[in-house]
Amino acid sequence: MNSVSDFASAALLRKGYPFSAILAQEEMKLALLLNAINPSIGGVVVRGEKGTAKSTAARAMRDLLPLRTDGTRPAFVDFPLGATEDMVVGAIDFECAIRDGELRFQPGLLARAHQGVLYIDEVNLLDDHLVDSILDSAESGENIVEREGQSLRHAANFILIGTMNPEEGELRPQLLDRFGLAVAIVGEADPALRVELLKRREAFDDCPEAFNAAYRETERAIAQRLKAARERLAEVMIPDHLIGFISEICSRNHVAGHRADIVIARTARAFAAWDGRSDVVADDILKVAPMALLHRMRSATPDLPPPPPPPPVPSAEDDTPPSDEGDAEPDAEPGDGEPPPPPAGDDANHDAGDSSPAPADAAQNESNESNERDDGRAENDDGNELPDELQEIGATFAVRQIKSQTKDQVLRTGSGRRSRSRSASKQGRYVKSTPRRQGRNDLALDATLRAAAPYQKSRRLVATREMAVIVTPGDIREKIRERRIGNFLLFVVDGSGSMGAQRRMVETKAAIMSLLLDAYQKRDKVAMVVFRGRSAEVVLPPTNSVERAARLLADLPIGGRTPLTAGLAEAAGVLRQMLRKEPSLLPLVIVLTDGRANAALGDGVARDEALLAAQAVGDEFASAKFAVVDTEAPGVVRLELARQLARALDASYFKVEDLRAEDLVSIAKEQQT
Amino acid sequence: MTTIEPARAVVYPFVAIVGQENLKISLILNVINPGLSGVLIRGEKGTAKSTAVRALADLLPEIDVVDGDPFQSDPHDPRAMAPEVYARHLAGETLPIRRRKVRVVELPVSATEDRVIGSIDLETALRDGRKTIEPGLLAAANRGILYMDEVNLLDDHVVDVLLDSAAMGVNTIEREGISLSHPARFTLIGTMNPEEGELRPQLLDRFGLCVHVEGLNDPAQRVEVVKRRAAFEDDPAAFAERWAAETQKTKAAIAAAIAAYPHVKAADAILFAIAERSLKLGVDGHRSDIIMLKAAKALAAWAGRDRVLAEDVEAAASLALVHRVRRRPFEHIVNPRAA
Repeated sequence: MNSVSDFASAALLRKGYPFSAILAQEEMKLALLLNAINPSIGGVVVRGEKGTAKSTAARAMRDLLPLRTDGTRPAFVDFPLGATEDMVVGAIDFECAIRDGELRFQPGLLARAHQGVLYIDEVNLLDDHLVDSILDSAESGENIVEREGQSLRHAANFILIGTMNPEEGELRPQLLDRFGLAVAIVGEADPALRVELLKRREAFDDCPEAFNAAYRETERAIAQRLKAARERLAEVMIPDHLIGFISEICSRNHVAGHRADIVIARTARAFAAWDGRSDVVADDILKVAPMALLHRMRSATPDLPPPPPPPPVPSAEDDTPPSDEGDAEPDAEPGDGEPPPPPAGDDANHDAGDSSPAPADAAQNESNESNERDDGRAENDDGNELPDELQEIGATFAVRQIKSQTKDQVLRTGSGRRSRSRSASKQGRYVKSTPRRQGRNDLALDATLRAAAPYQKSRRLVATREMAVIVTPGDIREKIRERRIGNFLLFVVDGSGSMGAQRRMVETKAAIMSLLLDAYQKRDKVAMVVFRGRSAEVVLPPTNSVERAARLLADLPIGGRTPLTAGLAEAAGVLRQMLRKEPSLLPLVIVLTDGRANAALGDGVARDEALLAAQAVGDEFASAKFAVVDTEAPGVVRLELARQLARALDASYFKVEDLRAEDLVSIAKEQQT
Repeated sequence: MTTIEPARAVVYPFVAIVGQENLKISLILNVINPGLSGVLIRGEKGTAKSTAVRALADLLPEIDVVDGDPFQSDPHDPRAMAPEVYARHLAGETLPIRRRKVRVVELPVSATEDRVIGSIDLETALRDGRKTIEPGLLAAANRGILYMDEVNLLDDHVVDVLLDSAAMGVNTIEREGISLSHPARFTLIGTMNPEEGELRPQLLDRFGLCVHVEGLNDPAQRVEVVKRRAAFEDDPAAFAERWAAETQKTKAAIAAAIAAYPHVKAADAILFAIAERSLKLGVDGHRSDIIMLKAAKALAAWAGRDRVLAEDVEAAASLALVHRVRRRPFEHIVNPRAA
């Protein structure tokens, strides 16, 4: 069956666009070729906007790969996003087990990719659990199977190639770091180039055979050169003084760990081999370093120092590390006793974020209430209100992660991208199987048959009826499905006059807009409550249309008093409604205010009333997470009334300016060192 | 599976739809050249979006398929064959041919991933202990039209697998013990109401063309819509009969345009005009150029010309660029001057 399907995929892919017909995009093509020359580089991730021949190039590489030593074509495995775990790592072949009573291992995609290419299009959309299996193999070069009574390991050495459009969300940093190289590509801006590209594409679409025939010679030439380069690779050396140069580049760009050093060395050797040389020169390193650094550094462009002069006499007791030679690469692992780089990822960031120390001015909390005078600009206590004001939306920014939920075992329903969760409905991606649980009817047929397979022989002996497969209740397996649960974001926005002081509303709107942009990527539902004057209002009932929220935000006026209690009450109403409909929902309530409540619902002091209300709301909605964004303008004296509100709500507290993602990065970095 | 077969029930005739010229032409262009890869129809409820798509089935040309093949293999093109058919072809078998209309396959909003991709066949697995595939909607839609009403409400992971196949024209199944690739080239037609949320940019880009439909403003036209609708509901068969001649004419025109398309030429000046339009608007990547050229050629073929004119580019641009203009979501709100 496999040979048939190989035949067919070859037939399907014969339509592919030739590599040498791809115009420009030199860095991407080079990165792919260098990986083909030296598979130990560790693969490449191509990041770029849609429609830039990313996947065309990756797939075109298939025909260029040098044949294996046994003369067969190396595998090129196209990894589908909908793959199930058993097909990735491999599992018992139940057909064979049932027919012959023999437990045979059916190799998965990882085994098939051995000595070839594993290509993942839209790699940023791949499910986490699959990513983990792939990474483990990519890292160790083998796949270890411990499941369904099988226990084996097999070699799985492959070139990992991924393509992605960052618009659809980022790749986890851990995964990013595992790719040896990264290139970023954009469309061509030169009209003449675009026209040439258009002509080629149209010629290809009109008649792929003729087009491919026209490029057959250039394709063959590239394949030849690739083969020669691969043969030469073993003899390519890096002079000792350039090893130090590589380290200098990496430390200059603040790259953690040794992976970048190793990758640059390997890539530079491949590049020299591609160029037909046996000695790496400084220019090779400068050429390839950006590809190894792009995804490992914080700034957009690498800082490349001038190359060092070659030493006049090579010193015998040079204490630079030994040169990177041969495929064995004894120095590949950090041999100098340093631990491998910590997995700098979501989790690290998240932890650091949660524990980020509140800025030191907490002491100023004591500041006396009389300072409140400064917000008297737009409102005064006898209710004489100035006309409403409309402030525009300030510049947006990338938001730090306010909340990160780990996968939980509670069954939920929903669709979105912010949090992943096990799904109780039959919707969602079939991830793996589990022995039967109560009350669900979501049979994982393949897993059930695999579970039944080993017993078929013995069961047939005692069977009363003639059946192909004898399944007993104990064999039944159910599907575990995973689905991303979108959060519900409820914005509770202070629209009172005091928000207009020092154009705070501009900043606040920028913050909301940034949160909305984030919500858009994560497919969250949003709703908005605005409180101002005497009352609060649900200006945006819960919706998936983040665009609508944004439009509304632009037209949001400010003016009047601050009925904070009313705002909280209205928010509670929305939450109650939503939770009644979807009890499994994980709401995130973001209150944007300076906390200067001055309009009470009852007869009490507005501020005390608001704090009591906050406490009640916090207690009532245990599943909700609250965040208070303090919009108080930075100044010498801050009242930080919003901080009291946060305490009452049991909310995380942010100042508008702390929301920016880059601040989080710097906080995380500081804590690591 | 919902397959809309025009023979089953009388469908409101495409040619009897009042107004909505952009919508109609964009659908026709996709019939002329399926390489345009589809239309996204944006608009409010009740603007004939679904009617037009369903009516399109009537105008579709006929194709040859391998009889009995769930993957709709092309008997004349080995590259467009499913594995099993290809093996038969290699073995020298004469493949049975069935001629049928291009199909419209509907993908319901509630579709699960298994139904879309295909999954293991429960019956043969249990009865014979054999692994066979139960083909999914992507198999049924191969060489046809995949129609998604309310495409913006589709589940995220279903969109992911759609993107995967739409990009490559191949559906790769690696699930539940089944490992198979089969051709899945289809024209995507989606409708959506933007009020209910936007599409992901990547999916948006997969639709070659995009039209925005609105309710008709002209009272005379509105009256005509109601009249025709009432006449259709009174007696669908008689109504269709009345429009039969017009339908025939349009079908013949489409057939002529399909035949003429390969001979349509575009001068370099036209190609530059296309590239410059994309650059001026700032679109991502190159797909807009490719689609604009194909649409302009199809428009020329539809008009009975063998040469693309500037006006074709103009019209093509209005269909191919709106949804590709590069902007961060809500840029027009965040930064109104840039819009």
